[in-house]
Amino acid sequence: MASLSSFISRIYSFVYLRGFKIWISYKTQVVLNVLSWVLPVFTYYFVGTSLGQRFISSINTPNYTAFVVIGLAFQGYVSSVITTISGRMRNEQLFGTIEYYMLSPTGVFGMLFYSAAWGFVLNTINAIVIILVGMGLGVSFINANILGAFIIIIELLISTLGLSMMAGGIVMITKQGNPISFFFSTITTLLSGTVFPVSVLPKYIKLLSYAIPLTPALNGLRLALLDGASLSQLSYYFIVLLIFDILLLPLGAYIYKIGFDIARKDGTLSEY
Amino acid sequence: MNNLLAKGITTINLTREFKNKGLTIKALDNINIEIPKGVVASLVGPNGAGKTTLIKILSTLMLPTRGTAYINGYDIIKDVKNIRSSIGLATGGESTFYFRLTGYENLVFFASLYGLSLREAKSRSKELLDLVGLSNFANYPYMKYSLGMQRRLSLARALINDPPILLLDEPTLGVDPISAREFRRLIKTISSKKTILLTSHYMGEVEELSDIIFLIKDGKIILNGTSQELKYKLGKIVEAIVPVDQVSENISRFVVGIRANRAYLRVPKTLINLIDGNSEIIGESEPTLEDVYAAIIGSSPIDKGNRVKPMRMGRWQA
Repeated sequence: MASLSSFISRIYSFVYLRGFKIWISYKTQVVLNVLSWVLPVFTYYFVGTSLGQRFISSINTPNYTAFVVIGLAFQGYVSSVITTISGRMRNEQLFGTIEYYMLSPTGVFGMLFYSAAWGFVLNTINAIVIILVGMGLGVSFINANILGAFIIIIELLISTLGLSMMAGGIVMITKQGNPISFFFSTITTLLSGTVFPVSVLPKYIKLLSYAIPLTPALNGLRLALLDGASLSQLSYYFIVLLIFDILLLPLGAYIYKIGFDIARKDGTLSEY
Repeated sequence: MNNLLAKGITTINLTREFKNKGLTIKALDNINIEIPKGVVASLVGPNGAGKTTLIKILSTLMLPTRGTAYINGYDIIKDVKNIRSSIGLATGGESTFYFRLTGYENLVFFASLYGLSLREAKSRSKELLDLVGLSNFANYPYMKYSLGMQRRLSLARALINDPPILLLDEPTLGVDPISAREFRRLIKTISSKKTILLTSHYMGEVEELSDIIFLIKDGKIILNGTSQELKYKLGKIVEAIVPVDQVSENISRFVVGIRANRAYLRVPKTLINLIDGNSEIIGESEPTLEDVYAAIIGSSPIDKGNRVKPMRMGRWQA
C-alpha cells in the first residue's frame, strides 16, 4: 500500500508538476508543439495526394494518409521519448538537481522511469491529436483491434525505455552530443517506415531498418488499427518486439549504470 | 574507533585526485577528521582548497581515490544506500530547483522522491516551509525568490527525510546580512538534534555556529579545534600601521584597511619580526577567527595562480 501511494505521489510529481505544469507555463512552446504534431500530417497528406494513386499503390500503401497518420502518431513514442529523456537529464545537470535525484531513494533509475512517464503522456496526447486529424482527413479506425495495438505500444515503450537508458548513460559521459538521441530523432523517419514503407528502401538499408523496434511496431500497429488484425495475426509482431525488449532493456540498464558510475568516479556528475 | 564517534562523521586518509592533461591534482590529501554526533563543524579555507570536493565525497556523489569515510556508522563506499538516507544536502547553488514551480511545489516534488505519499509530501512541505519561514511565499514561483529565500528552501529540502546529518556547502553564499542572520538562527534551531558539517567563507558565521572548525588548504587539514582553541594557538595580535608602499607580500594578508597611504595591519605577535622598523605599533588585542584565517591560510592559492582549481561542479562553490 505504501509503495502504491509513493508511486502515485511520484507520478503526480513527475507527470503533473515537473511535466505538465512546466510545459503549459510556456504558452508559445505549447502552441508550437501542437503545430509540430499536426502540420506534418497535412504535409504528407498533400504529398500523398500529389504523388497520385498509381504511385501510392506501387509502394503497397493503398491508403497513404492512413499509413502516414499511424507512422507520425507513434513515431513520437520512440524518438520524442528518447530525446525528451536525454534532454531531461541534461537539464537536470544544468539545474544541478541531478544530484538530489541520486541522493533520494527514487535514484537515477526512478528519475528515468518517471521522466519516461511524462514523455509517454505527452506523446499519447500527440498521438491522439494526430489520429483525430487523420479521422478528419477520412482515415477510419472502425475495425481497430485496440487490445492488440495496446500490447504493441507497451512492448514498444519497454524497448524505448532501454534505448532511453542508453541515451541517458551516454549523456552522463559526453554531456553534449548524443548519438542515440540524434539517430532516433532524425533517422527513424527515414528508416522505420514512418512515412513510406521500408520495402522501398535499398536492401542494405532495409536490413538496418529491421534493427529498429519502431519498424515492426508500426507495421503491427497499422495492421491492428487500420485492418483490425486479430491477436493471433499480430503474434509475429508481439514476439519480435519481445525480443527487442529482452535485448534492449538490460543492455540499456547496464549502459545507464556505467554512465553514472563513470561520472561518479570522475567527479563529473553535475558537470555540463 | 569510538564506535565511529558514536555515529557522527569520520574520515580516514581520504584522498581525491583529479587528472587533467597528464597532471595529477590532489584536491584532497589524506584528510582525517572526526566530527562527533550532535556537533556542528565548519570547514574553512580558500577557493579551491577542497571543501566542496569533501562534501561531494561525503554525500556519495563522488568517489574518493583512496581512503574512506564513515557517516552515521556507514561506509561511504560500501553502504551508499544507508549513507544517502542518513544525510541531507544543501548547496550554495541558486538553480537547484525548478524555476517555474512554486516553492511549495518544489518541496512536494522532492518530498515525493523520498517515497512519501502525496498527502505526506504536501503536509511535510508545509511543515518545512513553516520551519524556514517561507509559508507566506509558498505559492510564489521559485524564480521570484530572493537569494536568501532560495537558501532557506534549500535547507528545507535537506530536511525532508529528517536526516541525522546535514552537509551544507556555503549555505549563505551571496546572502544579505539580515537573511544570513535568519539562516544562522535556523541552523541553531535544528542543530540540537543533528550533526552538521558546513563550509563557509564568513568567519562570523563560522564562529557563531561551530563547535569545531577545520582549516583546509591545498586539500589538507592544517589546523582544527574550537574557535577558542584556534585563537589561543595564534596568540595575541599586534595592531600596526605601515606605509602602503612598504607592505611586502609576506605581510599583505594581515592588512585590514588602508587610509591615506597607510595600511592598518593585525599581525600575530609571534610574527612581529615580519614588520620592519618603519611601522607604528598602535596596540595589542585578542585575536579574532579572521586573524587565525589570515595567519594560517593567507591568500587563496588560486588567487595567487599556483593551484589549479578542480572543475566546477554544477552550481556548487569550491
